[in-house]
Amino acid sequence: MLTKRQNLMETMKGGKPDRFVNQYEFMQMIMSVPITRVRPAIGEEKVNEWGVTFRWPEGQLGGFPVHDEEHILIKDIENWKDYVKAPSVKRPEEDWVPAIEAANAVDRNDQFVTCFVAPGLFEQTHHFMRMENALTAFYEYPDEMHELIDYLVEYELTYAKELIDHIHPDCIFHHDDWGGQISTFLSPKMFEEFFLEPYKKIYGYYKANGVELIVHHSDSYAATLVPYMIEMGIDIWQGVMTSNHTPELIKKYGGKITFMGDLDSGVIDFPAWNSEIIAKEVERACKTCGKLYFIPCLTQGLGISSFPGVYEETSAAIDRMSKELF
Amino acid sequence: MSKIAEVKAKVEAGKTKLVAGLVQEALDEGDKAEDILQAMVDSMGVVGDKFSTGEIFVPEMLIAAKAMAKGVEVLKPLMAGDSASSLGTCVIGTVAGDLHDIGKNLVSMMIESAGFKIVDLGVDVPAQKFVDAVKENDNVTLVACSGLLTTTMPALKEAVQTLKASGLTGFKVIVGGAPVTPEYAVEVGADGYAPDAGSAAVKAKELVTA
Ligand code: B12
Repeated sequence: MLTKRQNLMETMKGGKPDRFVNQYEFMQMIMSVPITRVRPAIGEEKVNEWGVTFRWPEGQLGGFPVHDEEHILIKDIENWKDYVKAPSVKRPEEDWVPAIEAANAVDRNDQFVTCFVAPGLFEQTHHFMRMENALTAFYEYPDEMHELIDYLVEYELTYAKELIDHIHPDCIFHHDDWGGQISTFLSPKMFEEFFLEPYKKIYGYYKANGVELIVHHSDSYAATLVPYMIEMGIDIWQGVMTSNHTPELIKKYGGKITFMGDLDSGVIDFPAWNSEIIAKEVERACKTCGKLYFIPCLTQGLGISSFPGVYEETSAAIDRMSKELF
Repeated sequence: MSKIAEVKAKVEAGKTKLVAGLVQEALDEGDKAEDILQAMVDSMGVVGDKFSTGEIFVPEMLIAAKAMAKGVEVLKPLMAGDSASSLGTCVIGTVAGDLHDIGKNLVSMMIESAGFKIVDLGVDVPAQKFVDAVKENDNVTLVACSGLLTTTMPALKEAVQTLKASGLTGFKVIVGGAPVTPEYAVEVGADGYAPDAGSAAVKAKELVTA
């Protein structure tokens, strides 16, 4: 039997995997990295490390950036430099110990030591100034948006250096949601203009420093962005929703990029979930997408589900499909 | 190109800095405010259709709406009464428990540019607040409820059913949001559904003029 790592490589290279890669199994996420995001717990409001206020009201599913006049970070984009100050990434060496120990405990022959990076460049722009302002600024203030994104890239590179120096990750799991369910936020052309080079820089830097695998999360439609993903150096697109017609993407781009998802969280992961729906969806995904360049996975951006038991039940269903199809 | 045609083209192209000037020029040349407004409403219709077919994206739509708003500002003092909102008032909001508003705001913009006056209740709107808004505002012809989370689908249902059970009349209810399907819209008792902001404006008009 192949190790998880070998099995993933066979799947990505179009070789001979001996089973489906099962969701996030190949990544061992190192979550004890000391450069953490400040986030509110339920019922709380917190100003994060960039100065963005997040609020998680009681009874809600998660936190949300607060964008009224008083709280919005970038009040006018022309003067973004007055508002945006990158946080420091320096931490005392002893703070790194738990993360280093966690990384050392991983059998790198079996799994990829993985560092988690979020939010992404696009997400930061709308956290800073709310979605509508960010989206119109790409038209009305393109120079300022380029400068702001370059500034975020510089920050990401200093952050990357800390991760590389301390953890030597094999894999980076990087979030940036580029669309909704049926379309991307930006046109492909605008996406290329603002995000291709910045991500090439970031992902290129990781690759030049020992990172083998770039996994990018966008749980959305983004089929039209796949050529850019490939050019950026993304090895695996996690979060691919069924609205992308994943089997067609695999046919077209398999070998250049691997698709991880095709199990829409919205359809499977809800309060009244049951194992029949999961089995049916997993069977559909595995049978239509096939054994190569595809990893069946919930579209959620971490190896968890919103409702207890769904992730595990999905993994079990994938194992059953492996038995049947391999 | 006539000035009106130019206004139309520049709204479609989202030229926020040019439209106000062009509208003024059109007025100076003797075009009627109503006709200029209609031209802008038409161009937003085109923008909506292009958005529905995936030809343009959210930024293009936002910027076109912004361009139109600049033009409307020039026209407002000239328009008698409320002819800019001839289809009545639309109450819109994202349902209780849900804080997503990008889709709702796009829908609101498109419905407004189709000729409704908008009362935006914001996000996390309890069912009763929709009902209160119908009571408190004049000539409410449409209530639009948005929901983006599968977990708030029951709140969407509650909003529609509370509105329907309120005894108030004279308005239709339209629902939408990524997890909402046409079947679900029927199941909860809504009068209409649309998959995106472009078709929401078309549907809204259809519902209140039917
Ligand atoms: C952007 C986004 C956010 C932004 C929202 C910013 C904002 N101001 O709205 C941020 C980052 C803040 C956010 C936060 C959260 N989000 Co969110 N978010 C998204 C994302 C990526 C896109 C949604 C969007 O804006 N789409 C673009 C717009 C244009 O499309 P739309 O909303 O569908 O609207 C169109 C149509 O649906 C229709 N429409 C919409 N409303 C209406 C109404 C009517 C009447 C009509 C006719 C039509 C209509 O027209 C619109 C325009 O064409 C989706 C992922 C996805 N794939 O959709 C997740 C998603 C919706 N979020 C999700 C979650 C879980 C959250 C959080 C809980 C995250 C967290 N763990 O902290 C919080 C939510 C807190 C809360 N209580 O609401 C989940 C929901 C899962 C579920 N169970 O349903 C999704 C699906 C991501 C996922 N797969 O996990 N989110």
